[in-house]
Amino acid sequence: MNLIELRGIQKYYGDYHALRGIDLDIAEGEFFSLLGPSGCGKTTLLRVVAGFEDVSSGSVMISNKDMTGVSPNKRPTNMVFQSYAIFPHLSVAQNVAFGLRKRSDLNAQARMTLVEDALDMVGLDGYGARAANALSGGQRQRVALARALVLRPKVLLLDEPLSALDKKMREQMQVELIRLQRQVGITFILVTHDQEEALVMSDRIAVMFDGEVAQIAEAEDLYRKPVSRRVAEFIGTMNFLPATVAGEKVEVAGLGHMELSDTQSMATTDGDTMAGFRPETATLLFPGQKTEGRIASGTVSEVVYYGDMTYYDVTLDGCERPVRISMRNVFGRPVLDIGAPARLAWSPGAVTLFARA
Amino acid sequence: MQQETKRGLGLIAPPFFYAVLLMAGPLLAIVVFSFWTQDYLTVDRTPTIANYVEAFGDPIYRAIMGRTLWISGLVTLITVLLAFPVAYFVSFHVDPSRKSLWLFLITIPFWTSYLLRIFLWKVILGYNGVLNSILSYINVPLEAVGNATGILWMQEGLSAPLYSASAVVLTLSHAFAPFAILPIFVALEKIDRSLLEAARDLGETAVTAFIRVTLPLAAPGIVAALLIVFIPTVGDYVTPAQVGGPGGLMIANMIQTQFLGLNNAPMGATLAVIAMLIVTVIALATVWLARRLSGVR
Amino acid sequence: MLRAYVVAFLIFLYAPIALLPVFAFNSGTVIAFPLDGFTLDWFAALRTNSELHSALLNSLTVAGTTSVLSVLLGLMAARANIRYTFPGKAAAMGLVMIPLVLPEIIVATSLLVVVVQFFGWSLSLVTVVAAHVLICTPFAIAILNASFQSLDPALEEAAIDLGETRSSTFRLVTLPLIMPGIIAALLICFTISLDEFIIAFFLTGSDTTLPVYIWSLLRFPNQLPVIMALGTILVIVSILILTLAEWNRRRGIARMGGKDSGGFL
Repeated sequence: MNLIELRGIQKYYGDYHALRGIDLDIAEGEFFSLLGPSGCGKTTLLRVVAGFEDVSSGSVMISNKDMTGVSPNKRPTNMVFQSYAIFPHLSVAQNVAFGLRKRSDLNAQARMTLVEDALDMVGLDGYGARAANALSGGQRQRVALARALVLRPKVLLLDEPLSALDKKMREQMQVELIRLQRQVGITFILVTHDQEEALVMSDRIAVMFDGEVAQIAEAEDLYRKPVSRRVAEFIGTMNFLPATVAGEKVEVAGLGHMELSDTQSMATTDGDTMAGFRPETATLLFPGQKTEGRIASGTVSEVVYYGDMTYYDVTLDGCERPVRISMRNVFGRPVLDIGAPARLAWSPGAVTLFARA
Repeated sequence: MQQETKRGLGLIAPPFFYAVLLMAGPLLAIVVFSFWTQDYLTVDRTPTIANYVEAFGDPIYRAIMGRTLWISGLVTLITVLLAFPVAYFVSFHVDPSRKSLWLFLITIPFWTSYLLRIFLWKVILGYNGVLNSILSYINVPLEAVGNATGILWMQEGLSAPLYSASAVVLTLSHAFAPFAILPIFVALEKIDRSLLEAARDLGETAVTAFIRVTLPLAAPGIVAALLIVFIPTVGDYVTPAQVGGPGGLMIANMIQTQFLGLNNAPMGATLAVIAMLIVTVIALATVWLARRLSGVR
Repeated sequence: MLRAYVVAFLIFLYAPIALLPVFAFNSGTVIAFPLDGFTLDWFAALRTNSELHSALLNSLTVAGTTSVLSVLLGLMAARANIRYTFPGKAAAMGLVMIPLVLPEIIVATSLLVVVVQFFGWSLSLVTVVAAHVLICTPFAIAILNASFQSLDPALEEAAIDLGETRSSTFRLVTLPLIMPGIIAALLICFTISLDEFIIAFFLTGSDTTLPVYIWSLLRFPNQLPVIMALGTILVIVSILILTLAEWNRRRGIARMGGKDSGGFL
């Protein structure tokens, strides 16, 4: 059953068209991400759901109730702000208890229990009396989560919640957010510009560009079957080569002929298209190494050594721009030098065809 | 969006209409009033430019206007020159945690009893004053100090030191010093310190880096300081009245006399309008000139 | 060398004020060196001067009313300035801030002309308050602008998101967080109004304010030591108020977790 239904959401700021007809369904208990570069409208869309922005046209339904004209304090949503918005004049416990003020059914004892449980849930048990200012970034994040979750909203909205944290802390909080979401079973909507974060955490992801949804898919589908070159470029890295489609035959520069049915095709017409493949789907063969698959040849033009991985730029014969290949540095495998001849093992199944943009 | 606009307009309305009612309206009124005339207690409402003709024609008014501009200009220059090193010191040489304490120390005198501060200069500079009594106590006549330092009013002797334009300049420079320090300090604080290091790295000396980097970047603060000192000094009443004597009176004193002494309010209004116009023209000219000079950017 | 100059500058800055207590406790009636002896007579004379007491009371009333009204207007303007966009905002804000750069004699005479010549009303402490509010409001706006500026808008949104209404959000979140700014603005406006002479001189009726009363005393040489005593008290009170304002401002910054950028303005 769909908890949230967005229909034809349009939003103008003066002449600026921020949201251009968004349709979205989000299921109950789902961890859903809005992913896109800055300025794509993802935060605006989140604030539309929260009620902080009214729409120019279209409708927001939550639990089959029309939310038009319902102010943020009356919506069954709560938000974790990008800056966390921890009230600096209140203690940690007072922050968490903030939204419980209007709950007249609770006595002081019950309120305290709820606050303590919420703090416990985010791993801050015993921090209640601390001043909010004395907290680290990660702790503020947890207070913000506890403060929203203690109200048991139908939807928790997270606006770039991890962007202010350093890399280690971010990875730790990603895992915790997943755990927390499974534990409470509340629908989470996460806004992020970090594709890795979205891939790691979400059940489904909506990729947004320029106020429109480009693709909605599960993480793996999004990575393996991007619908457009733009999505493919935004999610991870992809090599692009000019290709020509003629009936059932495809000719890709540098790789050669293949059957259309062997590839994933997002292109709808014959003629000039773009073929793409991910760096990890091809393998550089080392002198003497054999393979069952198809081989393309070229020259190593750049080597970047990352410790566990080596990234090679290989200029395929008949191509101007090099393709990038990532190789795991297995023990005993030599690292090729710039200028060395390269043999590239690849398979048509990893090639995706896009309309030439 | 619509709602937000309404809220903003609703909030700005009370202070806006207050300013319209108590400032814009009265300013308009004083302009209208300056075209009327007054004979003893009866006001003649026939519009005439007689007051302006008189204000610009009568040598007394011209002298006062000239002196006002001369004194204010001098005070402004002296104050900003005195203030710059202090602002520079606080911005560049004071530990960041103690900067606000220094600013506090500098601003305190500005907020405390303006009237008494001016009066105390009268006490210090006057005949039988502190300066004179200290000097005579240690047996150094003021004239000698004057001759040694070249300060004119000291050379002229004790009979007149206080009641002169110099005393007004000294007192006003003292009164507005903190006002000049703040904007310069703010401008200096905004200067990225690595710019100076970059200048040194590119071969400038400390002095040339100051001239080629610090000074141009501090220019907006200096212009603000010039204006913030000049504008109120043009309209200052207390200082010339207290320490100026007949040779140090300024336009505000004349306005006051017209309104409260001579019962020629329209003439007072005319002088007020002229003072306002002069201030506006000079302020705009300064800003324009500053923009031109920094137009290289 | 720069340090020596700055120290000399500070001495120059404080010299007149430092003389106040020297002569306030000096038993000689002439304000000159050498000093005669120690006395508290001048302070004692202050206690019995009923004219002074009524002038002081007038000044306190004017300053109190002025500071409250200025801060209320300042709150509205600063809030509108920082939180909202609306047509004509820059022009409206510019107009409201103009008194900051308008010579006070102009404010005084223009209001005098309107009140007396156009409306024929009588002058009173009300006209003084009206003018003082005009010149104090820009200072209140400047201080409160900084307060609203350092207030993360997400804090108010968070309160609304957590179920509060606009008005309860203002009471529970906004007000406590900008309170140090409000107090600082109140104190500064109070000090400005208490100290203001020229506008009060033009616009006061039969009730005088303290500076106007002091001005009337300055003409009498035998009153000078008493003025010194009064001045000493006034300076101490002003410094106390300003210290309070500054302390408050710093506390506010510390509370917001921000960093001190220094100064009232």
